Amino acid sequence: MSSSAMEDEAPDVVCQLEHVQGLVDALGAVRWKRHQDAVVELSEHGIILIVEESGCLQAKVYLKRELFARYDYSAHGRRRFGVSLGLLVDCLNAFSVPGQSSLIEIQYPGPDMQVLLKKVDSLDVSIYAEIRTRIPDTMPWDYNFEPAGTNPLTFTVRSAALKEAIEDLEWPGSSIQIILQPVPPSVTLKGEGHGDLQIDLMYYANTELLGAFQCDHRVSYKYKYKFLRATTTNMPSSVTKENRGSKLTIGRGGLLKVQHLVTIGKLPSSHAHVDSVGYQQPGRIAHIEFFVKPEEIEDSE
Amino acid sequence: MKFKAFLTENGVTLLEKRFLPALEKMGKICHLYLTRDHAMFLHNLLNGDGIQSIAQFRKEALFDDYRISSQNEDRIAFTIDVTLLQRAVRSSVSICSELGGSGVTANRLQIKLVKKLPPNCTQPMPFLTFETKGYKSAVIQDIPISKPLSRAQVLELQGALDMAQDLPQTLVQVPDLNQLQNFVDRLKQVGDVLSVSISKYGDLHIQVSTTMITLGAEFRKLLVIGEKADAPSQDQNLSAQTRSSRSVARGDAQTVQVSVKHFAKSLQCHLTKPDCAFYGIAPLGACLTVIFQFFIPGSRQTDKSISLHCRLPVLDPGTG
Repeated sequence: MSSSAMEDEAPDVVCQLEHVQGLVDALGAVRWKRHQDAVVELSEHGIILIVEESGCLQAKVYLKRELFARYDYSAHGRRRFGVSLGLLVDCLNAFSVPGQSSLIEIQYPGPDMQVLLKKVDSLDVSIYAEIRTRIPDTMPWDYNFEPAGTNPLTFTVRSAALKEAIEDLEWPGSSIQIILQPVPPSVTLKGEGHGDLQIDLMYYANTELLGAFQCDHRVSYKYKYKFLRATTTNMPSSVTKENRGSKLTIGRGGLLKVQHLVTIGKLPSSHAHVDSVGYQQPGRIAHIEFFVKPEEIEDSE
Repeated sequence: MKFKAFLTENGVTLLEKRFLPALEKMGKICHLYLTRDHAMFLHNLLNGDGIQSIAQFRKEALFDDYRISSQNEDRIAFTIDVTLLQRAVRSSVSICSELGGSGVTANRLQIKLVKKLPPNCTQPMPFLTFETKGYKSAVIQDIPISKPLSRAQVLELQGALDMAQDLPQTLVQVPDLNQLQNFVDRLKQVGDVLSVSISKYGDLHIQVSTTMITLGAEFRKLLVIGEKADAPSQDQNLSAQTRSSRSVARGDAQTVQVSVKHFAKSLQCHLTKPDCAFYGIAPLGACLTVIFQFFIPGSRQTDKSISLHCRLPVLDPGTG
């Protein structure tokens, strides 16, 4: 299979993945602008890709080793490199053939510290890529997410509805207030600026829309609109199609965590209904997390 | 100078559904060159460094009752806006189908070259006129065209056309145009310069390379027309890049650099629904040629009355 030069010094990671489009979707979900630098962390458990902006927004894509058809990790500890997210996604896209699944191999590092990609399922058609990496100049910032109190403040919402609500809030203004209150159990998204817009999600009104609601005291935080929008702007169409839910949690200091689940690869045809949080076949799901810092602290406690 | 012909039903379909949409992608303006036996749509033959496209039809493929006369060996050429031409053909088709019912022959579509005095003008202007005759009415559409080319200009065009007929020594058949187009669309995101290698072994290797990224694809064991050779067995397990450079060093392959945009444009020709496509590099790496083949419907025989090929200008390695 591999040439002798590679055997001399095995690369840190060699992995094979069948469903490139799923990977493109998952990585694309954290691409909120054209040029973004990402940090990739490799470990024996899988791959994590981290993107940050202005110290206020961070996104992580978790690709567990179970997602891969093959995952060989030979380094000790963690390895980290920087790469242009845009290039990586555009490049992976070139491997994705509509209507066909193709097996690709990802390898790091190459002879010049590149990420090497190649299509490995056909002898007569080969697609390959080498992407330059860099040494990350800063460590990804650890948001150290902790629950706000003894009980978590959390809810799940249909991903499509969340995206739509955030899109609707574009018009009023630059910051969005998120209010969680136990009585009546509800979540409110409120924009003020060129006019006011308030979107109320009532827990009892529509349990399909809003679920797993946990809140023991009223909290309210403001977030920059552009950061909130980044959490849903490139949500893959598969998330909407599969009617998935996103989980939002407010942690200490108002730090907002938004979690999406993206399917990598096709769902088995037998399956008719996806549980809103989608606990079927964890090996086929990529987890995506966004952390958004609040603008200012209001009546939190 | 006279030109008058009836477009056949087949000719209308060929132009409306297949060739004009593709030719429009090649560029808005083209030369329409009419001779005693052929009608040709020519892009960028006389000017510029754009992609050259040559679509040639025997008169029977498009017309019947084809009449042409000029003092220049019955050759007429002018420039025409492909978009306008397409619009005229399209609306003629819809008129024909609306007026239909009174028999096919009654709704014939005539095209002719006319000079007319447009409103608010003092000088008559040349037009290509489409006339759709129905049972009770007729619809006339005038497409403005350039002044017909002078004798010298026609000679120049004919010269360029003759020059553009040279065949590459080795041509490889593209396996799947859609797949290739899909890939090249992705390549466009990554870089501007595409290096294309074609070998006598039937390898087609395309690659974009910038300081940040190298992305390429290699298609092997393709059908070869022209000069071919057996692939050396020791090259089997090499990387695509190494294999290409070895083949070039051995003199069994050529590499040229072209614009990714041009390459993507050449693939737009699949809108003409060709039955197969071949890429080849002209002698001395003068250009990258792509030739499309059309079969006689229901057969595997080449339809010699239709031909289409493109020539992609080669970039100076220095400008890459």
